[in-house]
Amino acid sequence: MVLIVNTTSDTSVTDELKKSLENRAAETEFIEAAPLKISHCIGCNHCWLKTPGECAIKDDYEIILKRIIHAEQLWVISDTALGFIDYKGKNIFDRIIPIMTMYLTFVGDQMRHVPRYEQKTDMGLIILGEADKDYLKRWIERAALNMGSRSLGVFERNELKEAVSCM
Amino acid sequence: MHVMIINGSPRVKKFSNTDMILKEFTKGMCENGTTFEQYEVSDREQWDDIRNAFISNQNILIALPLYVECIPGLLLEFLETLEPKNDGSKMAFILQSGFAEGIQLRCGEAYLEILAGKLGCEYMGTLVKGDNFSIRFMEGKQKERITVPYAAMGREFSACGNFRSEKCKKFTGPEIFPAPVRLLVRLVFNTLAKKSFARISEGLGCTRPLDYRPYS
Repeated sequence: MVLIVNTTSDTSVTDELKKSLENRAAETEFIEAAPLKISHCIGCNHCWLKTPGECAIKDDYEIILKRIIHAEQLWVISDTALGFIDYKGKNIFDRIIPIMTMYLTFVGDQMRHVPRYEQKTDMGLIILGEADKDYLKRWIERAALNMGSRSLGVFERNELKEAVSCM
Repeated sequence: MHVMIINGSPRVKKFSNTDMILKEFTKGMCENGTTFEQYEVSDREQWDDIRNAFISNQNILIALPLYVECIPGLLLEFLETLEPKNDGSKMAFILQSGFAEGIQLRCGEAYLEILAGKLGCEYMGTLVKGDNFSIRFMEGKQKERITVPYAAMGREFSACGNFRSEKCKKFTGPEIFPAPVRLLVRLVFNTLAKKSFARISEGLGCTRPLDYRPYS
């Protein structure tokens, strides 16, 4: 399943993606996150140590978390700020950590958290503003590596066709 | 020198590893007359004061934990409300993480240089150090073993006004662990660390295994 989370209020992007993907065999799910209540991660670590796998913040992020664990791909559509994705986009990634456990191992020569689920979710970005794209590519590769998955790349608003070709 | 410090951790001050690091860092920093004021991004009621202090101060230090390879969402949310300074202000960072190897923090460090530029400040470097996850669960000498070395870095920052010295670079420790060390650490992960996490978890009232799958 391909999960596409739109953290922006621009639904024309998801409309366009839906059209492009309607004849595709792969199952696709869209979540419009802009109207949802999604807090930042507060770093309590309860998802690792007190209520394993469950976030202590009871808000709409649970909808996303429950779908991520079944997704082969997670695409986050985000506005940009300060050369990066904006805080709403970043919160989607920060809140993902319940899919990892507190346990640690080495993968190659670096420490990693042991994944909680078997499903590995590759991750891609669609950005709707200016950002340091080279940095974002590096960042999403690194973030994916930490989740035991792969980066699907970083695409701008005018590169949706290229993004779709990776879905 | 007077330094405006922002604790960029989203965790409340009482449990903030970053704050515990700052306590030692500022002890060293202030030994030769440097002064500071500190703000907590985790407390939204401080945000107006932080904005005003950001405008009126020339030496800015942001201390933060690494969250998914970059800065925490809450800190980003706050920083998005600032106007770029472009007045010669200087900005340095303390970046800390749970993972122990230096390589784990390099992607976050690279963003901090971009960030300083976006905020219209001169980048004065980042003090990079991992292996800090358990500070808040420690007491006494065990905790001091991790936090007290930051005082020397505070003295260094006070003397140099930046984190570019060899001492600061060495403070990071190894970029990756050599293979024999990794074998040893892996053994610790599977034995002592698991027991330690289980003890912490039980202390927090957890009754489930730490690899429990609530949604499958």
